Amino acid sequence: MAKREIPEINAGSMADIAFLLLIFFLVTTTMDKDQAYIRSIPKRVEVTTPPVDVEQRDILAIRANSKNELMVRKELMSNADDISERVVEFYTFNELKNDVTSNFPLYSRISLVEIEGRIEAALADAEAVEATPGASQDIIDFKYTILKEWENKKRALQLYGKSELPEISSQAHVRIEVQKGTEYGLFSKIQSELEEAIFILRDKAAKDVFKESYSTIKSRYAVDKKKDAKMDKEKLDLLKILYPDKFIEVTPKK
Amino acid sequence: MSKFKKDDKKGAPGVNTSSLPDIVFMLLFFFMVATTSKESDPTVKVIQPEGLRTTDMTPYKQRSEIDFLYLGKPLNPARAAKYEARGMEFLLFMDNVAQSNPDDLYNVNAIRRWKLDKFESKPARMSEPIESVITCVKADKGAPSGMIFDIRKELQDIDALTIAYAVRDNGNI
Repeated sequence: MAKREIPEINAGSMADIAFLLLIFFLVTTTMDKDQAYIRSIPKRVEVTTPPVDVEQRDILAIRANSKNELMVRKELMSNADDISERVVEFYTFNELKNDVTSNFPLYSRISLVEIEGRIEAALADAEAVEATPGASQDIIDFKYTILKEWENKKRALQLYGKSELPEISSQAHVRIEVQKGTEYGLFSKIQSELEEAIFILRDKAAKDVFKESYSTIKSRYAVDKKKDAKMDKEKLDLLKILYPDKFIEVTPKK
Repeated sequence: MSKFKKDDKKGAPGVNTSSLPDIVFMLLFFFMVATTSKESDPTVKVIQPEGLRTTDMTPYKQRSEIDFLYLGKPLNPARAAKYEARGMEFLLFMDNVAQSNPDDLYNVNAIRRWKLDKFESKPARMSEPIESVITCVKADKGAPSGMIFDIRKELQDIDALTIAYAVRDNGNI
């Protein structure tokens, strides 16, 4: 039998095929990343209860009008870059010692024993509501959320390693009040400054308590969910309790 | 009488191109890894404002938990002039659907329909609740905030409760 030689396949056009694919991917994809600020919209409620009175000291109002002029706490501001400093001041003014005469939110300090007391009370309360015939599921869920919050605080304080957990007044918040004509550029600048301020605060706390930067913890948590994830989550939770990001965006009327 | 004979007949030997495909494939794989696919080409021009400390949307894109909305001036000058005459400088462009007429945003609840359509067309295994499916608004830096809040209102009405304000981040990452 004659040995037949198998002819070699001509691979000369392989490069053309690869180029074709390459160009296809160059055209249909984009290099630039999408970066954004994620915010949650409050749920729509049908029942209109009169709004709770909030003390002036607990509000940091950032206003911008349709001429793109900026006002922070009744003070005109020409440079938008200064907003973050004011936000940091708002959070830290009373952090170490409450000054009742100041116009900044007050801090409460709570010890581990007190938190444990609250947990027991919340648990008893939740069980009592559950045992009540005809109690609606919403209320039961609500009671258990409170219990869970206290348990989170207990874990946070244990991680914090100090005798007391400082907590900013629960009503303290930042309000963004813009008008319809305000440019999106300024609106997003305010968002950027808020994010920057929260970053500064949490980063400092992270370096003090955990000896590593906030962005390190955050990116490690985002990348590797398995390794050390629980620990990182608790760290992030603690930072969130210390400096909560409560931003309210007020729907413009004019 | 030189020892080295000049061989004039022989031209330069052809360059071996057998490794060219390898090089091109390498480039191809680099681009496949380093880039993400475009969701759509908007028909409005958006120059994004700059910001710091942003969140990267790529992980959400990969899990398709995000829908994009664009707010800017129409690219087509004739179209821009037409809408400007009606007092509409900025137009909305939703993923794959251009806003057909200026009143759409306010009258027909186009955003609502678009968002719900997108949500229902998602495969069952991506069953994130609608509250956590992000709507990313990419707005031009000159766009009025009033329109942003109109979008926000529409989203609130259908309980799509996560919004993202897109900016360009020139800083870290």
